[in-house]
Amino acid sequence: MIRNYDQLTSLEIDTLREIGSIGTGNAATALSQMLGKEVRITMPEVRIMGYNEAIEWIGGPEAVTAGVLVKMSGDVGGIMLSVQKLDLINFILQTMLDRNIQDYKELEDLQQSALIEIGNIMISAFVTALSGLAGVDINLTVPAFAVDMQGAILAVPMAEYGGMSDYLMTIGGNFVCNGQEIPSHLLLSPDLRSLDFLLRKLGVNDG
Amino acid sequence: MKMLQGEGILITYALGSCIGLCFHDPRLRLGALLHIMLPLNMEAGRTHPMKYADTGIKETLRQLEAKGASRSRMTVKIAGGAKMFEIAGGSGLGNIGQRNIESVHAILKRDNLRLCGEYTGGTVARTLLFDVGSGQACIRSYGQKDIIF
Repeated sequence: MIRNYDQLTSLEIDTLREIGSIGTGNAATALSQMLGKEVRITMPEVRIMGYNEAIEWIGGPEAVTAGVLVKMSGDVGGIMLSVQKLDLINFILQTMLDRNIQDYKELEDLQQSALIEIGNIMISAFVTALSGLAGVDINLTVPAFAVDMQGAILAVPMAEYGGMSDYLMTIGGNFVCNGQEIPSHLLLSPDLRSLDFLLRKLGVNDG
Repeated sequence: MKMLQGEGILITYALGSCIGLCFHDPRLRLGALLHIMLPLNMEAGRTHPMKYADTGIKETLRQLEAKGASRSRMTVKIAGGAKMFEIAGGSGLGNIGQRNIESVHAILKRDNLRLCGEYTGGTVARTLLFDVGSGQACIRSYGQKDIIF
């Protein structure tokens, strides 16, 4: 049965929120271990929204951002994106490489690898939580990286599954480290067949 | 799709694999800017015709012609169709940008529309501005000089 995100019941949305929250918790733990510093995460905000709304929510279409993208396959197909703004990038670079940048253009290869690795670990930690909870196998591709207008970056999952759905699941939370709060966004975009399957596995959808 | 007659600038932001099409009838100073996301409409209910190259171009032409535009005078400029992410290995993303470019080309050719300017492909996102008075288009990209065409 093909469904759309706007047909989800509140119980199903709550379940996705719970996954979002456990997943980001895992991602924060992974980040702590990677950086060797205590990183906590504030209660994440999980929202399911249309493309335009999602774009406005993270700062408008022309704002530039770095994005790490991983494709999921196996029991659940889809795309996960880690959207990295300068605050988060500088936090990572400062901790790992003792450097700061003013503009994305200054990113060198080594720094870029660090960001890809962090994005990949956060996404993997999230997906591990998801597959553990739902008892499904999910394979991930190697991560891809881009720095560009976020309107175009967010359009990637929309175009990939746009024939079926106009909605994205966005998970936003602030990492907290040494009293500093750094916003972070993860986007999960399962294809609809997989969303259906996932909810059934989680026991909230008998259809 | 946005349509305007006389003076003014139409804008569509951050085209990645999507394509922006500027339709212009110079005599009427009538312009339309269409933003398509996918090459072909396979939606059952057809609720979003403007999202797809085939139904989007068709509907835009219908609305332009309803305002008196003529295909023989009309010019089209396009931008977009980039590949934002490259995934190593075979299991990558469907190359939607390239498929969009091919679909738009085929439809413009079939409908006898004159393509007089094009910046497509590559890996960079584009914001497209279109001056309906002059028919001039401009591309804005991150970290690059503006392109006027």
